[in-house]
Amino acid sequence: MTPAQIRFLSLWRREVSRFMKIKRQTLGGPLLETFLYISVFGGALGSRIKELHGIEYIVFVIPGLIMMALATNAFTNNSSSILQQKFMGAIHDQLSSPASPRELLLAFCLGGFVRGLIVATLTFIVSIVLTSLGVAHVLVLIPALFLVGFFFANLGVLIGVRAEQFDDVAFAQTFILTPLIFLGGVFYSASLLPQPWETLTRFNPVYYMISLVRYGFVGFTEVNIPLALGALTVATAALFLVNLRLFQSGYKLRS
Amino acid sequence: MPGTHEKALEIVDLQKRYPNGVEALRGVSIAIEPGDFYGLLGPNGAGKSTLIHCTTGLAQPTGGEIHVFGHDAISDYGEARAAVGLAPQEVNLDQFLTCEETLEFHGGYFGMRKADRQERTKELLETFSLTAKAKERTRALSGGMKRRLILARALMHRPRLLILDEPTAGVDIELRLELWHYVQKINAEGVTILLTTHYLEEADQLCGRIAFIANGEIAAQGTSEDLSRRYDVANLEDAYLALVGRRELSRSHVEGDVAA
Repeated sequence: MTPAQIRFLSLWRREVSRFMKIKRQTLGGPLLETFLYISVFGGALGSRIKELHGIEYIVFVIPGLIMMALATNAFTNNSSSILQQKFMGAIHDQLSSPASPRELLLAFCLGGFVRGLIVATLTFIVSIVLTSLGVAHVLVLIPALFLVGFFFANLGVLIGVRAEQFDDVAFAQTFILTPLIFLGGVFYSASLLPQPWETLTRFNPVYYMISLVRYGFVGFTEVNIPLALGALTVATAALFLVNLRLFQSGYKLRS
Repeated sequence: MPGTHEKALEIVDLQKRYPNGVEALRGVSIAIEPGDFYGLLGPNGAGKSTLIHCTTGLAQPTGGEIHVFGHDAISDYGEARAAVGLAPQEVNLDQFLTCEETLEFHGGYFGMRKADRQERTKELLETFSLTAKAKERTRALSGGMKRRLILARALMHRPRLLILDEPTAGVDIELRLELWHYVQKINAEGVTILLTTHYLEEADQLCGRIAFIANGEIAAQGTSEDLSRRYDVANLEDAYLALVGRRELSRSHVEGDVAA
């Protein structure tokens, strides 16, 4: 391995090590939350709604829950980890190392992505055991999950770097991220909403992410899949470049 | 500049102005030869930590140049930072990690291979009497142990220039002496040391050359004797008091007053 590869792997391992040491909070909590959603919406609402667009309601909902688990865990991990390290001053150990801004950023992103992926994968495994969920379009599902995870991992980095107190992170999660996800069609189909909610939903970028993941799992979509994948790719790349610029300039990281 | 007569650290006309307009460094120039034990003394807020942060990449200079063993600290930061070990003033250990992991990850950040990291970690834990605490998280350590671990971490990647930013602030006398014995030992082995401290007798005993910094400028530099001569006083402490404009606090004055 080259020194650059060793640096990157060490930075990434540190991120994974952090969330694995508090796994009851970082993995257990999110898993329980997801299963509560499945129980409430599958058990309670599912018995009333039965089907949406010919798909069993719980199976319709689970792809959105998997996407939500991936997104919120990737986001929370990175925003919290960076802010904690800034508070402890421990980030100085990384910033004063020979690691390049790109290595630092990629390691943070991949750390959050892995946490999101672990929770999403465990949710999927339990879902295929308990429900009839399958995979309809693996070639859409894999890039969609990768892009969603990487997008929210980058968003977490952005918020973590900008944040000066824990309230800043909580604000972003509570007042921006959670409403966007909940109003993005996790639990319902946009085409069944009355106006103006249907049109408003189509302005929510998370709606397209949920649609992509849902299409990958159950084959149902209300959006143009290639266009949504293309737009998500562009958005993820743009966010990565913004973060890279912040790391290069040292914004709120170096004085 | 690599290949020419390399200084361990060469800082030329270094300037740092913070976004709030504070000028922390106003054209600082110092040159430290390989193997030197160099002291940087000055009152709080003089610019010592800013100079160290600029050298290690934690702050971005607004003007001037920094070379570490001939490597530009900005354009060739990888090589420059690899040559520097920093023991900062504040305790900045990662509380999620154990002592062993702290050293192991640090070595990784500096590109050390696994076998080398493991061997060096074991060696440093033994050297700093932390072997029994290897698996404990850093937050469980006493203040003195945290200081030891910070120094061990700074030495993990075998830096050629060790920067100690007030390393003995608040530590007990045994640990202070223990740390200085070790630092003197590695200095004798060829590691260059840049030390900031408020303990003037420490600087007097340890440092071959000393710079006084005040208001972001180097006021004077040389040996302890050079500085005493420069301020026309008997010792380094009095030279420092002259620098900060508090000659009346000199022990010779105070002792005279008491005798009278």
